[in-house]
Amino acid sequence: MKGKNLFKTMLVVVLVLWAFVALWPTYKLQSLSPTEQKTLEAEGELMPLLEKGIRLGLDLQGGMYLTYEIDLPELFSQIAENKDPIFEEIMENVRGSLNVKTEDFLTILIEEFKTQDIPLHRYWGERRDSDAKVEDFLEDQAKDAMDRAMQKLRNRIDQFGVAEPTIQKIGSRRILIELPGVTNQERAKELIGKTALLEFSLVKDPRVVMETIEKIDQAVARARKGESINEMELLPKDTTEAVAEQKESQDKAVSVSELFGEEEIDADIEQAEADTALLVDENLFEENPFIALLRNTQGRDVAVPVENVRAVKRILAREDIQRFIPSDAVFRWNAETFKVENKDYRELFLVKKEPALLGKHVTDARVTIGNDIKSQGRPVVNFALDPKGRRIFSRVTGANLDKRLAIILDSMVTSAPVIQTKIPDGRGQITGIPGMDEAKMTAIVLRVGALPAPLRVIEERTVGPSLGTDSVNSGKMAALIGFGIVVLFMIIYYRTAGLIANVALLMNLLLLMAMLAQFGFTLTLPGIAGIVLTIGMAVDANVLVFERIREELKTGKTVRASIDSGYSRAFKTILDANITTLMTAVVLYQFGSGPIRGFAVTLAIGIVISMFTALVVTRMIFDGMTSRKVMKQLSI
Amino acid sequence: MQFFKTPDIKFIQKRRIAYSISGVLVLVGIISIFNLNLGIDFMGGTSIVLQFEKSISITELRNALTGADMGNIEIKRFGSKNEVLIYVEQQKEVSAQEMAVRVESVIRDALPDINYQRIKFDTVGPKIGEELRKSAVLAVLFALFLILIYIGWRFELVFAVGAIIALFHDVLITLGIFTLFNFELSLKEIAAFLTIVGYSLNDTIVVYDRIRENLKLLRSEDLSVIINRSINQCLSRTVVTSVTTFIVVLILFLIGGSVIRGFSFAMLIGVIVGTYSSIFVASPLVLEWQSRHGGKGKLRMMKRKK
Repeated sequence: MKGKNLFKTMLVVVLVLWAFVALWPTYKLQSLSPTEQKTLEAEGELMPLLEKGIRLGLDLQGGMYLTYEIDLPELFSQIAENKDPIFEEIMENVRGSLNVKTEDFLTILIEEFKTQDIPLHRYWGERRDSDAKVEDFLEDQAKDAMDRAMQKLRNRIDQFGVAEPTIQKIGSRRILIELPGVTNQERAKELIGKTALLEFSLVKDPRVVMETIEKIDQAVARARKGESINEMELLPKDTTEAVAEQKESQDKAVSVSELFGEEEIDADIEQAEADTALLVDENLFEENPFIALLRNTQGRDVAVPVENVRAVKRILAREDIQRFIPSDAVFRWNAETFKVENKDYRELFLVKKEPALLGKHVTDARVTIGNDIKSQGRPVVNFALDPKGRRIFSRVTGANLDKRLAIILDSMVTSAPVIQTKIPDGRGQITGIPGMDEAKMTAIVLRVGALPAPLRVIEERTVGPSLGTDSVNSGKMAALIGFGIVVLFMIIYYRTAGLIANVALLMNLLLLMAMLAQFGFTLTLPGIAGIVLTIGMAVDANVLVFERIREELKTGKTVRASIDSGYSRAFKTILDANITTLMTAVVLYQFGSGPIRGFAVTLAIGIVISMFTALVVTRMIFDGMTSRKVMKQLSI
Repeated sequence: MQFFKTPDIKFIQKRRIAYSISGVLVLVGIISIFNLNLGIDFMGGTSIVLQFEKSISITELRNALTGADMGNIEIKRFGSKNEVLIYVEQQKEVSAQEMAVRVESVIRDALPDINYQRIKFDTVGPKIGEELRKSAVLAVLFALFLILIYIGWRFELVFAVGAIIALFHDVLITLGIFTLFNFELSLKEIAAFLTIVGYSLNDTIVVYDRIRENLKLLRSEDLSVIINRSINQCLSRTVVTSVTTFIVVLILFLIGGSVIRGFSFAMLIGVIVGTYSSIFVASPLVLEWQSRHGGKGKLRMMKRKK
């Protein structure tokens, strides 16, 4: 018996310790003052902390939740050829039926064509293709449109700089997006919905890039000193190694306004933090404030640590700085970030403003495995251009050998391969792609520019941050008061046993919160309600045991015996009763979404934990009490 | 402290009265099904919550908006006096976002001096509304089905039937009262109903468990006596748990904020009705069934060796 008790005690102690460890980040986050928050952000410590803390749902943080659906009528209409009035009529009918029937658009469309007795190949696919073949083709188009839409959305949303966005496919036609913290809904939707723009632009020669950066650097240095930069003479600088210096850089935290000596108002969508802390190389900062924001790593010419991206963007956006950028060029950021030694960077390119080729000339792009000597077994992207595009591309590639050509989707660079040969027939191949995933993405990006992926909003929910904070506060308050009342009641009604039950209840809540934090479950407002409910119902398991013990005591059993039989008799009841509530929680999780899932999760976890604490923890305490001396009376 | 020392309330004997009360309330519930106040989750449409600088008159807003030809618009208070909830029905030709923008511009024109802020905004397309309706019904049915199987397995079919009837009873009555007070039914409230199902079942099983135990202990007694004794023995626990859960949900209702008010109200009614049904519906039904179908009034369980 003693061994078993020891094991149980150790288990409980370990669990409690784990709970404290798991919750420590959340506690820390809650108690940070704004300045402390900034210092952490500078050291790159804030993000990991946020990730380990309890995730708040949109209804508690504020933000947007959008469900998009591929606009199949629009898509099929756009890829159809030889459209005539009959076509329009059919599409009208089908669109109408869409609102009434629940079947998929494709099914309805095919039915309609059959009723009208018109072959599908009149408008899609090759001549003489069977209906079945065109059906397959259309289905593929729909699937690819989903991929393109996902890629486009991912690209766009990256630009927002939202903390933890969610982009998810729902079934085969819908995409779910969650943007926590975004407050300007109209702008968000506008930006998301815009048609994608794909361009191919030549990357400027590295020398030109360096010169430009140095000029900007001088300008910023002068601005800091309060000197006017409008009249500045553009002095050429010799030290081209400034950026390459990687000697003991003391990273210092500097604020953006310190950089400019002024306040700036951020008018775009990004959550404008008033003052972001930046990571600058202290050795360079005084003389080269702009260059200090940049890094040269891993074969990339200009890389910017993610913490500095916003500041660099602001600097580059200033009118007085833009003078120093060659008039035919513009800075563009890479869509994806890359990691070096656990720090995230984003690459910056200087490309020609006028695109060499517009994406609409791309007719197709596919990923294959290379089979010539250079790219044996590695993924390559093959793409094809339409006649006009071929001519342009032939000219461009012929005239710019060994230069880099950036593939830019919605102003973000996907990749910038080097032009190795002239491509006269519009069939290009991109090699040297590190991995299959990147290859697939590049191919999709190329197709995005070529083909439409029209989306429709079918569901949208927005919660403003003020409502979110209010909800959190009311939730906290309700939980605290609820807890207080139950604790009080238990002590009054069950005396010492009640106290023991309260300890179990406290542990309940601790473990529940810890599990939410550890496993990354999202806490929503109904989730808080679930916690409050758990407080009320967790009591139940204890009550079942205590009532049994009381009954046993009445029949004259000893304290020891009453406790034992109380627990063993109540066990079955507790199990049966809680399993059914658990079943409803599971059903809720399956059929629910977002906030309701949050509720199901807290309810389910709460129930399981309350069974554990009621049967194991309180038992332990009772056992502890009765093992010392023989108790004649039990305060219950 | 103990509420009931050795209770011996004649629950079974009083069951006819309980049946009539239940009957009336369930009828209210059934009628309410035809008058449900369905939210946009199920009907599609747009709901906007605006927070004004100061207290705003709903009539003023309504006048401003009715004039603007927007179809069916409903305006309600949301939380405090400054907050207003505006419903716009799904329009055929116009997208929901456009409607929202229109509504806001009308308000801005009508009340140019008052500043407001949009604090919540929900739009649900008609197709999704229909899907959500279907999945809500499916969820409830699925849960009930699971429960039927589980109880049939752990206890006996009689008990399962009694439990399911009690659950329907609970959901209908709660739905009735909920609609009577004009609360709106959206996804959250469906979650509340499912929780009530779970809670009521929890309660019912505790009593059933005791009945099962007593069937073995008191073989010679009449079924009605056994059931009555079981209920009485559980009374203390039932009351304590119901009271604590009720208090906790009451606090949620009062302090939890307007977003979950409907949810907590449903829970509130559900806790009361759920407890009531375990005593006055689920248990007596076992008796009724047995006396009509079981011959001597004793259950199979009593004859089995297990």
